[in-house]
Amino acid sequence: MSLLSDPGEKTAVRGVGIGLRAAHYREFLDSQPRTGWLEVHSENYFGDGGYDLHVLEQVRSRYPVSLHGVALSIGSADGLREGHLAKLKRLVERIEPALVSEHLCWAAIGPRHFNDLLPLPHTRQALDQVVAHVSQVQDALRRRILVENVSSYLQFRVSEMSEFAFLAELSRRSGCGVLLDVNNVYVNSVNHGFDPQQALLEIPVESVAEIHLAGHSEAGDLLIDDHGSRVAPPVWNLYEAACRRFGPVPALIEWDTAVPPLDVLLGEAATAARLSEAAHA
Amino acid sequence: MRELAALQARFGAGLEVAGSKAVALDIFNGESGQVASRFGIYRGNARANAARALAAAYPVIGKIVGGEFFSGLAHEYESRFPSVSGDLNAYGESFAAFLAVFAPAQDIPYLADVAQLEWRVHHAHYAADANPFEPARLRLVPAEKQLHLIPKLHPACSLLHSEFPLARVWEVHQDSHHGEFEVDFSRGPAGVLVYRPRFRVEVRQIADAESAFLAAAQVGETLEVALTAAHSLDVSFDLGRSLGEWIGSSVIIDFTLH
Repeated sequence: MSLLSDPGEKTAVRGVGIGLRAAHYREFLDSQPRTGWLEVHSENYFGDGGYDLHVLEQVRSRYPVSLHGVALSIGSADGLREGHLAKLKRLVERIEPALVSEHLCWAAIGPRHFNDLLPLPHTRQALDQVVAHVSQVQDALRRRILVENVSSYLQFRVSEMSEFAFLAELSRRSGCGVLLDVNNVYVNSVNHGFDPQQALLEIPVESVAEIHLAGHSEAGDLLIDDHGSRVAPPVWNLYEAACRRFGPVPALIEWDTAVPPLDVLLGEAATAARLSEAAHA
Repeated sequence: MRELAALQARFGAGLEVAGSKAVALDIFNGESGQVASRFGIYRGNARANAARALAAAYPVIGKIVGGEFFSGLAHEYESRFPSVSGDLNAYGESFAAFLAVFAPAQDIPYLADVAQLEWRVHHAHYAADANPFEPARLRLVPAEKQLHLIPKLHPACSLLHSEFPLARVWEVHQDSHHGEFEVDFSRGPAGVLVYRPRFRVEVRQIADAESAFLAAAQVGETLEVALTAAHSLDVSFDLGRSLGEWIGSSVIIDFTLH
């Protein structure tokens, strides 16, 4: 068996989950809201101990948990931050999550960290670098990770392929799975002018191990991926297409700004579950 | 990796607060006005993420100076001490040092000390967990050896000393505080203890003798040495009572024998 395979991965996380945010900690400690699984941002649990980790360990005993990293910067030209990777490794060992994921982006250069998901040029050279970094992460964590497509507002002139061809090639070469953010596909299709349905066809069916759904907002001719509202109708349509293409892949509702009452998230999750079932009926 | 590195260096230079606005944006597709406005979104995100992290670590400073002034402080701070970590909980470590010298912040003389306290509180929130000490275990140590015990403080514990009544300033700015808002600034210097009994960080003013005792304990001195330090400031310092209190609130979590 390969060092990187994780046979329990697909069976541990099933159906639709939601992103766990501090505003809902209390409800998850006091009761057991019905949701398939939970996802958190890894970096929020990098501490040695304390309340956040306590809550995460409590929910981990009752739900499958996915650790979703926002700042490892696998696209940095100058190498992974070893300290960051070590903290992620410590957290993975402590939580034993069902899934671990990162973003296809960069955030750090030299001593500086911009704490944002910045776009990459889609060149063969950048691909080599990201493949090397993903392999380094998978070797350190001794497991396969998922890599997510990000939303973007700009595209580099030097790009040699689409972001989806880049992601597909990254998955093929490094063995990583794809975390397909359907909202990001839609946001980018508007921002950069391409057909989002065609984009889905560039992603190999068997590579997709998780789907993200979230809300966006409009700013003139641009869509902003702010995770601050309900999933938009065209994103639901694209999700239905994704369900038909990729099969019953676990999906997640993300909501990060102006976090609403838990029931709103669970309602969005129920919609996703209904669409997924209808697609596979 | 030279080409990727060069593109990221250019992108990064454009994001710097202190950076020139005239960043070469011809590395992107599109008409220059549109590219500049879209690049502005990334600039705004980097600013907002750093400011949000600083506000989360320094809620009391935010309440003291108000949202608008705090935004200005956040911007100036970031231009001098930009984020260097992917863990935003690590951002803001030098805020007290910045406030101590930043001219527009000098109208509120205790601001830097409050920031120092808030950073300790922030750190305490993420410090390692520790099991409470079982007091009965002390009885296993022969009486004549007890003063040779070295107390171990909880990793979340820290001590501060300030010219201002910091613990009271902190207390009246907590969301849970509903009483008098008044702070008596005439009371003179005082010690402050930051501790975390379980998951909730507590802050309280402590007497000089308590400060002296805990400071000695923190550097690995025995109970005997710590007690001498406390008694030199206050002969009425009661070791048994203080130990009981500190063990009960997980300030002291263990002892080792010298």
